[in-house]
Amino acid sequence: MTRHQKIYWAGFCVVMALLIIAPLVLPEFWRRFLTEILIWGLLAMSSDILIGYTGMVSFGHSAFFGLGMYGAAAALLIVSPPNLWLAIIFGLAGAGTVALFVAYFSTRLRDIYFAITTLIFSQIFYVIIFTWTAMTGGENGLTFRRPALSFFGLFSTPFDTATLHWFVLAVVAASYLILRRIMQSPFGMVLQSIRENEPRTRAIGYPVERYKIVAVMLSGLFAGLAGVLYAIQNRFAAPDFVYFLVSGETVIFNVMGGIGTLLGPIVGAGFFLLLRELLGRLFGEQFPYLIPLGFIFIAMIIFLPQGLLGFARRWLNR
Amino acid sequence: MAEKWKDEEWAKDFWYSGKVTRRRLVGWGAGAIGAAMLVPAPWRAAFGAAKAFKIGSEQPLSGAAALGGKTAIVGLQMAVDRINKNGGINGRPVELVISDDESKPDVARRKTLKMVEEDQIDVHVGGFLSNICLACMPVWEEAKIVNMISVCLDTTLTTTKCNRYSFRVHDYAPAQAVAFGPVLNKMGKKWHIAFADYSWGQSTRDAYADEIRKGGGEVVGTTGIPLGTADMTPFLSKIQGDFDGLFGIFFGKDGITIGNQAFDLGLTKKYKWAGDGAIAEPINLPALGNKIEGFVGINRYIPVFEGPFDTTHHRKFFDDAKARLAKIDPTGPLPDRYVQSNFEAMNALKVGMEKSKFEGRKDTMKLIESLEGLEMKLSDDFFTGDKVLRKEDHQAFPLEVIFEIKGGKHRITETIPGAKTIFPPACKFSAA
Repeated sequence: MTRHQKIYWAGFCVVMALLIIAPLVLPEFWRRFLTEILIWGLLAMSSDILIGYTGMVSFGHSAFFGLGMYGAAAALLIVSPPNLWLAIIFGLAGAGTVALFVAYFSTRLRDIYFAITTLIFSQIFYVIIFTWTAMTGGENGLTFRRPALSFFGLFSTPFDTATLHWFVLAVVAASYLILRRIMQSPFGMVLQSIRENEPRTRAIGYPVERYKIVAVMLSGLFAGLAGVLYAIQNRFAAPDFVYFLVSGETVIFNVMGGIGTLLGPIVGAGFFLLLRELLGRLFGEQFPYLIPLGFIFIAMIIFLPQGLLGFARRWLNR
Repeated sequence: MAEKWKDEEWAKDFWYSGKVTRRRLVGWGAGAIGAAMLVPAPWRAAFGAAKAFKIGSEQPLSGAAALGGKTAIVGLQMAVDRINKNGGINGRPVELVISDDESKPDVARRKTLKMVEEDQIDVHVGGFLSNICLACMPVWEEAKIVNMISVCLDTTLTTTKCNRYSFRVHDYAPAQAVAFGPVLNKMGKKWHIAFADYSWGQSTRDAYADEIRKGGGEVVGTTGIPLGTADMTPFLSKIQGDFDGLFGIFFGKDGITIGNQAFDLGLTKKYKWAGDGAIAEPINLPALGNKIEGFVGINRYIPVFEGPFDTTHHRKFFDDAKARLAKIDPTGPLPDRYVQSNFEAMNALKVGMEKSKFEGRKDTMKLIESLEGLEMKLSDDFFTGDKVLRKEDHQAFPLEVIFEIKGGKHRITETIPGAKTIFPPACKFSAA
């Protein structure tokens, strides 16, 4: 193990330890807030597979996130008592199916055309969910019960904010480690090659479209998983989550945290959400927090183009 | 008398003898803190009594329903100011904790949890959009906090989705439909209903359709239009055929849009034009101009001094509300049902809290018991008249007013007492 790796894993363990301890010391609201940051971070991390590693900016992640959420909602409403694992399976199936559909059509396109196509797909799914009132609740959304934390009949205990936080943390940490491994594998290297020079990758003999389809599906599945976790935490699904603004926020999390780092988007999500919360608290409920947030975002693009994690990495390597 | 306190006889004992050393000061300080911590519970309770009641309120101050949310706050603040001026509730002042739900259910859920966990509110009064009320109902139930709904009209809030913690002191769609149904059937037998396509619009559509059918009429079609649709023409242009009247269920900005666009497409000339009074709220009238002339609507409150509203109680409310509304809107709108129902909801809560000697969340069950069956009599608190908060479903049945817009103003054509709008309860509270 190199010195850099040792420092990396030591840092990872420290952060994990802090996140494990956090619910024991934080008040109820901040405990829930931290869990929410992890969930949005997972969504942002999933889009990093496309933005950071494959060089494809997706505005369709709200669809994957939303379908994961509605898939979980369907399972939690149909099955009584609600089952955690069934919710995850339903959510992943929903997001995976949509991701396959979107990937099949959109990966034939590049750059801005890919971004626009994913945006249009997400809006199509938004309109379907918004107008299919009988099935999705339309504008009203769906409310449902939270499942218990169970392990295949071995034990079952209701979630509280602390156990839910640990569960979400475990899922997000496992997702990160899996994605890190995938991105360091030959498959991940091909994705990075596509990002750097797509015609050359094709010329070497790699079936670029297939790689892109798998990348979109992988990204969609993890975005769907974030949707499932959000549904479990909030016991609520609404069409607003499928709206393209959520995709826009996901891109912002990536840019703020650091593209192509996997962990950066989580940091970006935390920074964005914390800033929004603090601005609201400092200046009151009716303060248009998006204006200062916009200025901060622009300043970060100009002065920290590599994002918070990229900047930290550079600073540490000096 | 000595000029300086140090020269006083009582001070000499410890001042001149040099007894106020830093060590002593720290010691006395620690002793004082320790004593404060050991103070017996009854004393703490007595000190706690001076603390303000925290009343949370979820309102849409931005987004699709911002127009109504801002006037809703006026009613709430009026009631709170009156309460505080008169000595508070059970001797304690009232503090409002207002939260902007941005007209979005997900934001509302997040902010509701913040009010529960961070702000530690004692009770909640508010809720404007029905889908938001529906999304937040389980949170109030789980947190065991009384939720006094102040605007939401969706039927299911006090029927299929009712819970022990939520109350509604204003009307709901089935009662409105009972009151308005006979009038509609006199106006025409065949109706087309256009509605805001979300929980309130949908449940109100169903209530009116049932009542029209009961009266021998027919609903030939319905058109749902998503909330906040700026251009309703694609929806409205499809409304045609052989029917007598068009019934609209909209509020806020959407009320203005449908009023203008239905007129421009000739629908309001071709068909009789009726609907929920929210379309023609005073704040909407300037934007609707003469396009709303002849509109027949139903409301629990309109700002006129006729019939049941020709009272000193109403005048007091009206004058105060008008002055406050002028501060937030220079056009000087007249008070509407959002101001009224927030004002009365807060007052109902006050009466309940006083009756139950409410001190905090621990007394929630006592408060619920005092609100169940609460009789509200015509007074400054309840200027729209008598009503009872029904125990079985926590629903009240206020007076309903049928009106027509003539010369850009509301004119009462009929009033229906709350007792004649009663709709059987359809709520089963889950075991607490």
